[in-house]
Amino acid sequence: MKLKFRIDTFQLYRTGIAIGIALLLGYIIIFFSKIPSDAASLWEGVRAGFDNANEAFKWFLLGPIVRWRGNEMLFNERGAIQWLNESVPIIITGLAVSIVFSAKQFNIGAEGQLFMGAVAATFVAVHFPAIPVLHPIVVILTAMVTGALWAVVPALMKAKLKASELVSSLMMNYVALYMGLFLIKTFIRDTKAGSLVSLPFAATAQLPFINERYRLHIGIVIAVVSAVVIWWILRRTTWGYQVRLIGDNINFAQYSGIATQSVVFQVQVASGAVAGMAGTLEMIGYYDRFLWLFSPGYGWDGIIIATLARNNPLFVLVAALFFSYIRVGAKIMGRNTDIAPEIVSILQAAIILLVTAEAFLSGLKQRSIEKRARKVEEALTGREVK
Amino acid sequence: MSDTLLGIFSWDFIGSVIRVTTPILLAAMGALVANLAGSPNIALEGTMLMSAFIGVIVSGFTQNLWLALFAGVLSGITMSLVLAFFALKMKTDIILAAIALNIFSTGGTIFFLSTLTGDKGSSASVNSLVFPNIDLPLIKDIPVLGEILSGHHIITYVAIVLIFVMQYVLYHTPLGLRIRAVGENPDAAESVGISVNKTRLIALIISGTLTSLGGLFLSMGYVSWFARDMTAGRGFIALAAQALGGVSAFGVALGALLFGFAEALSYSLQFLKVPYEFTQSLPFIITIAVLAFYAYIRLPQNVKRRGAQSGETRNGRLFQRVWEYFSRRAGIRKGVDS
Repeated sequence: MKLKFRIDTFQLYRTGIAIGIALLLGYIIIFFSKIPSDAASLWEGVRAGFDNANEAFKWFLLGPIVRWRGNEMLFNERGAIQWLNESVPIIITGLAVSIVFSAKQFNIGAEGQLFMGAVAATFVAVHFPAIPVLHPIVVILTAMVTGALWAVVPALMKAKLKASELVSSLMMNYVALYMGLFLIKTFIRDTKAGSLVSLPFAATAQLPFINERYRLHIGIVIAVVSAVVIWWILRRTTWGYQVRLIGDNINFAQYSGIATQSVVFQVQVASGAVAGMAGTLEMIGYYDRFLWLFSPGYGWDGIIIATLARNNPLFVLVAALFFSYIRVGAKIMGRNTDIAPEIVSILQAAIILLVTAEAFLSGLKQRSIEKRARKVEEALTGREVK
Repeated sequence: MSDTLLGIFSWDFIGSVIRVTTPILLAAMGALVANLAGSPNIALEGTMLMSAFIGVIVSGFTQNLWLALFAGVLSGITMSLVLAFFALKMKTDIILAAIALNIFSTGGTIFFLSTLTGDKGSSASVNSLVFPNIDLPLIKDIPVLGEILSGHHIITYVAIVLIFVMQYVLYHTPLGLRIRAVGENPDAAESVGISVNKTRLIALIISGTLTSLGGLFLSMGYVSWFARDMTAGRGFIALAAQALGGVSAFGVALGALLFGFAEALSYSLQFLKVPYEFTQSLPFIITIAVLAFYAYIRLPQNVKRRGAQSGETRNGRLFQRVWEYFSRRAGIRKGVDS
């Protein structure tokens, strides 16, 4: 038990070091891109580079929660709310992906599931009778059912035909994108609007606001509750145990009498249901109509977040909040300097590469395990072990 | 109406099919090599995007096509090397590493584009070059055939030649055998002295090279500039084309052609008020159906045991397997199997 804890702290260190390296990389890139080409001397150029990079990093690291009035630091309410709002969809997709990952299955179909979920939800949000309280619930349930249905195709192919879910779930994303846009365009397009958007939602369909001014909606509460519920299901129920057992060793699970085929199927569908509501929460929370022209990419974010969180739903919260923090930070940096906020993707890529690299710092882990083992042996035998 | 229909199936249409197929074809062959080696390359999308970007930037700043070609291909290989380093050496899950690389390319190209040109949308301000179209001598003078065969982009011709080259390399050279052996059963390959990591590294490098040509075609042929996210999912479409086409380069070429055909058709059909969403999503639906079908005939109860399941019978002769399935269904007995 103690040893296991040690390994987890090791993971924590490793994630921390990965983040540190990524930030350093970002700093170096900004430094080099901000050395003015017309600097008087090399020294001047380097100093300007450092000044610019420091300025950019101030916005990047503190921007979401701090704003400055003169030299006075104030709480940046707007940035913090943007941070919370932007984390909602990626918390949800992170949860969806961590469910399938727990069973060592793959799901890159979250993207399509949330897109289709949002499309179906749009119809309900516009046309369902305007009953307060009930309306958003029906909208979210519709999105979940649609997401689950969208996950059925790859799940069936996996369970019945043993076809890899990797390609089939990817294909479903594109079908969702094209079909979804077609449905919006044909049946529910707002012809008065300049771009392709749906009719505005009924006012009753909107999620209530916590902070009206900057549109903080209760999506974040729903996301946190979902994380806790999914954690509870995965860690405290028989079904969750079966899922994790399949993830550890599917053959063992099979021999111990678990109907692995049907659990794998259920896992995929459950994940689809969760993913289905990811985009919808944002749409009926922050926006008031369907306005995507492309896949929003939350499904891919979900994969990254689930991986960073090592499939633990509670860590998903932390990882998603971290990711949306650096994204909002990058946007604020982009607004205040002329550095493109897209640099954050370089940091994200570095973090995911280093965190998922099993061999990264594994020597350190090995040494710490050996040290502990030596100590235990010394304590047991009373002799010095080399 | 019939005029429009004729317009759709004109020589122009065939030209447009060939044009949109080229990048998908190159990337799909990249997917094939990597897949056969058992190290699936999902980073095709990012690799294409990066090469498209590097090609434009280098040609813009040096005004030298050869340098642009070199840099573009090198950037594709670099992406593959990073993928290989993390997947093979650092034991990162290869899918996750590839997703990270895709994210890197999407954002990285925009960041560097804006740093270098000040524009975040496209490289319109960069005076970049394009690779030329080629008129085939003699053939271009043949009336109908000349119009179809001649005057395409040089990378298109390279891609067509590469179909045959790849088929030869994969199925008639020791390297191809090693790649397939490593993909089929890495432990067995290792036990007869084939280095799994080295073979996969080579496969990924080939994959990156092919894919980078597809990317160069996009920004230096198909159009003459780089635009953010200009690959628009073609790397993933290539994965689908490979899944559809199976394990031979010819099959993959056919798969890519189907996607190219659908894309070209969707442009043409817009004039007929057929929603392009249908034509564009059709190949994906077909791919899902075909994958389901492949999987179905591969199920144990549908496989007639033919001795040991060597690589050739399990994965290789796909068309033969499909044929056998149908002939069994039709009650045709053939050959000497028990």
